[in-house]
Amino acid sequence: MLPFHLRLPATLDSVTELLDALEAYAEQADIPPGIAARLALVAEEVAANVAMHAAGASFFELRVTPDAGALGLCLEDDGPEYDPLTRATPDTGAALEDRDVGGLGVHLVRELTRDARYERADGLNRLLCSLPLGG
Amino acid sequence: MDITETQEGSKAVAILDGRLDTATAALTETRLLTMLEKGSVIADLSEVRYVSSAGLRVLLKAAKQAKATGASFAVVGLQAPVREVFEISGFDKIIPAFATRAEAAAA
Repeated sequence: MLPFHLRLPATLDSVTELLDALEAYAEQADIPPGIAARLALVAEEVAANVAMHAAGASFFELRVTPDAGALGLCLEDDGPEYDPLTRATPDTGAALEDRDVGGLGVHLVRELTRDARYERADGLNRLLCSLPLGG
Repeated sequence: MDITETQEGSKAVAILDGRLDTATAALTETRLLTMLEKGSVIADLSEVRYVSSAGLRVLLKAAKQAKATGASFAVVGLQAPVREVFEISGFDKIIPAFATRAEAAAA
């Protein structure tokens, strides 16, 4: 299975470009639709957060490496130190009027991937996680 | 993302076609909230293959506004990947989802 690598400016326009590129990659690499959707969700979540909130970030970079029944994801940006995994989980059992709009993206990342972990090194935020290919 | 408006029974239907993501969230939100000002709305997502957290926020805002004004808001035709994020987010408990517009209109 093919790997994927893309580095883009940290802008909202890049999010669309990233999603289009991932659609093409999923087709070329024969990635099942459900897995492709999860891949796009994780990538969009991190890329959009960098574009909207990472003051002074200049780039966002995604590497996808197929390995032993899973896709390994590495997402990097040069914004200020920020670990997205520390964001509180939304209360998914709350009533409609009590539901908060925030925290949904990180919740999806945590639920849809395995072994998600954050590192800060060489002035970069790095989020690593794995998408099992078995479903 | 293209949005076409139609009617099903007494309810307005917003037929969404395309990705509901960071880039298309704002225009989708504007359209749904505007439609909700006039009454109940059914969002037909049969042609939506992808909804990210940005899209989920739009659906949540629509549901909240509907509740606040006494209108109803429902979604129809969730594709498998969309249903997955819907359920992971707990939205299946707070936003009615139906297989067809007819069922949504009758509810």
